[in-house]
Amino acid sequence: MPISRRGLLVGAVIAVMAVLPLAVKSSFALDIFIRILLFAFIGTAWNLLGGYAKQFSLGHSAFFGLGAYTSTLMQIDLGISPWIGMLAGGVAAMLASLPIGWICFRLRGPYFTIATIATAQVLMLIFLKLRDFAWGAEGTTIPNLGNAPLMMQFDGKVPYYYVVLVLLLVALAITAWIGHSRIGYYLLALGEDQDAAEAVGIDVPRVKRDIYMISAFLTAMAGTFYVQYIYFIDPNTAFNFSISIEAALVSIVGGVGTLLGPLIGTVLLETTSALLQSWLGNLAGVQVTVYSLILMAVILWRPTGIMGYLAELRARRR
Amino acid sequence: MTEALIVRNLAKQFGGLRAVHDVSFTVREHETLALIGPNGAGKTTAFNLIMGFYRPDAGSVCAFGREIVGLRPHDVCIHGVARTFQVAKPFGGMTVLENVMTGAFLRDRHRDGSRANAREAIAFVGLSARESTPARDLTTIDQRRLEMARALATQPRLLLLDEVMAGLNPAEVDQAVGLVEKLAARGLTVVIVEHLMRAVRALAKHIVVLDHGQKIAEGAPTEVMNNPEVVRAYLGSSGH
Amino acid sequence: MVEIVAQAVINGLLIGGIYALVSIGVTLIFGVVKIVNFAQGEFVMIGMYITFFLATQFGLDPLVSLFVCMPVLFVLGVLIQHFLIRRVLGLNDLPQIFLTFALSLLIVNIALMLLTANYRTVHTAYSDEAFHLGGLYVPVAKLIAFGVAMLLSALLWAFLRTTDLGKAMRAASQNREVAQLMGINPNRVFAVALGIALALAGAAGSLLMPFYPAYPMVGQVFVLMAFVAVVLGTLGNVVGALIASLLMGIAESLGIQFVGADSGLIVVFLLLLVTLAVRPSGLAGGHTR
Repeated sequence: MPISRRGLLVGAVIAVMAVLPLAVKSSFALDIFIRILLFAFIGTAWNLLGGYAKQFSLGHSAFFGLGAYTSTLMQIDLGISPWIGMLAGGVAAMLASLPIGWICFRLRGPYFTIATIATAQVLMLIFLKLRDFAWGAEGTTIPNLGNAPLMMQFDGKVPYYYVVLVLLLVALAITAWIGHSRIGYYLLALGEDQDAAEAVGIDVPRVKRDIYMISAFLTAMAGTFYVQYIYFIDPNTAFNFSISIEAALVSIVGGVGTLLGPLIGTVLLETTSALLQSWLGNLAGVQVTVYSLILMAVILWRPTGIMGYLAELRARRR
Repeated sequence: MTEALIVRNLAKQFGGLRAVHDVSFTVREHETLALIGPNGAGKTTAFNLIMGFYRPDAGSVCAFGREIVGLRPHDVCIHGVARTFQVAKPFGGMTVLENVMTGAFLRDRHRDGSRANAREAIAFVGLSARESTPARDLTTIDQRRLEMARALATQPRLLLLDEVMAGLNPAEVDQAVGLVEKLAARGLTVVIVEHLMRAVRALAKHIVVLDHGQKIAEGAPTEVMNNPEVVRAYLGSSGH
Repeated sequence: MVEIVAQAVINGLLIGGIYALVSIGVTLIFGVVKIVNFAQGEFVMIGMYITFFLATQFGLDPLVSLFVCMPVLFVLGVLIQHFLIRRVLGLNDLPQIFLTFALSLLIVNIALMLLTANYRTVHTAYSDEAFHLGGLYVPVAKLIAFGVAMLLSALLWAFLRTTDLGKAMRAASQNREVAQLMGINPNRVFAVALGIALALAGAAGSLLMPFYPAYPMVGQVFVLMAFVAVVLGTLGNVVGALIASLLMGIAESLGIQFVGADSGLIVVFLLLLVTLAVRPSGLAGGHTR
């Protein structure tokens, strides 16, 4: 079994990611790397539900936003550290995923997707209205405490890089563990055929519910991180549809239902985006146009994504 | 002998259509029952009702002494009833082994145990050579075998086989009949839905005939075949 | 009070006609091709911009542009079916959902790039005119839009009922295998379905221009209403989509009148969720419990 070879590869990748900030000093580059790790994290969280179980949510911004608002509210109103707020946000998202899942999982295929879009939009609209409780449409900045590690604020970008790297590694570890366990098989099975899955004893609603909770928890943590990184929150940023899109996009391009798919997809897409930005400036619509072209190309020619294509090549060589 | 399955007054309507109406029969443990009837008679619907994919409008289903109406399919499977589907539903992107392991996990949560059980079921149906093949790349008959292996991996006491012979050539039919005989020899209680009379006669001593959702005959093969009601129901349909 | 309600109902009914054109397209595609067209709203947007272009460059009245928009979008629909949709038929959910979704993103963002986010309007002689019927204010442009929308819907209904191709589409919608056995060429039928659906969307665009601004994201609101109407009216049911659209227009209008102007969207979303939660059969992939 090529475990040792794969293990070596994974170890090498992790090592590279760990030392990268020491080699790269440019703040601009670090920002890109942080974005890559953050969206790889969000994509990996999405992948559990969308990639393995094939429940294509386009509403994960709901959990991102809930995480962001939970930790920010706890921080500003109660002075509680965002580290705790991050976990609390995760719990809040987990709890939210129950009623959201209850509605959305009654549907299959594209109607599930539409329902998830709708629930995320409803949340954004709600937070736009919550002026007294949560600053409404204007949002708020979080007080800049300088270097305050206990409050998840740091001088310079490097510590943020390591925080989000750890988050990503945690998500990857969870995905790897699930992939090899009974749950992993159950997710793939229900993703292929829910009725056949039920017929072999899989409690499909429960598995869907459980994986949705995990996916929501992780996504919410990303929301907390993001607020801490940009020092700002408002409903449009926290619940932005583009977060939902990118979460799905990086996984599809990289390879749904694979461990490293979301990471690879994020590297490809964010690098492309950064290059586009440096060539064409910030022209409205360019980035998403390119993203959607890539998505269409993948769907039409390589629906299993980059990882799927690599697997095919490996199989052909045997 | 104990009863493996007692179906009483089962009924299900879809809109205005009475798919199954007042159907009752009993399957003794270790026996093989054949459920036959012309197309649209309600046979697959009966399976769906027993497995819990549909909820019956009326009636009861008792499997090994326990009422299973109202249970969801996965609970029915836990209780020892497994099924194959008329149109095979493999987990296409997973290999044969992974497919069957998914079934085996029901009784053994650990990968090693589940893998061993899965391999046993795969060997039983004769698919060992294709263990690493993605399920979607299998031929029709191999997909049928896979269905059976996957169902067997859940260690059922009662197995519902829905038209396993459909679309098979005569040689493949013989293989399939052989497999079902092996199942019966292992002590499994089997209910088959079948059109192919040759297979029915080879496998079942107890036949129930449905037509337009109702039971019109029950008994041993010869008495059922000679029943004028049955002959009339089949007029226009072909039975080999 | 009665007048306020009546006015709201009229307003809602008239815009409901537009919703109908969009939702009929969605339900037609879903019924025949079995695909949810996430990009339907974008074709309304294209129709609007074509109309805008023809109005500003050639002084063409939007109603005349209708006769340009519809054929152009019909052809576009056929092309999209041939080059894109055809390749994901019979595949699982991922390609079918994300292809039209990606298409939607693509069209919106190309429009954003090329046309900018600025609102474009067309002002016609009748843009500000209105009939006064017994105390009710009925804008001419909206009345025309409603009338044409109903006419097109009626024509489509007749087409589906009486022509061979229309019957073939209904057959394919109800039972694909049987239809194929009867010799109906699915690709041809799908292409026509796409063409008609997009033509209707384009018509909606033309009809909207006299009283509604065009901007790249304009389609998203309409497609949302369309999805709700399609679900309410039963998937694949053209008449259902029509009636549901009219009702939704009225509901939205009453909501704006009595709940608040910016609560409209949240009401629609909640309505969608409630509908989806309450009518899962037909959306639950086939098995009823």
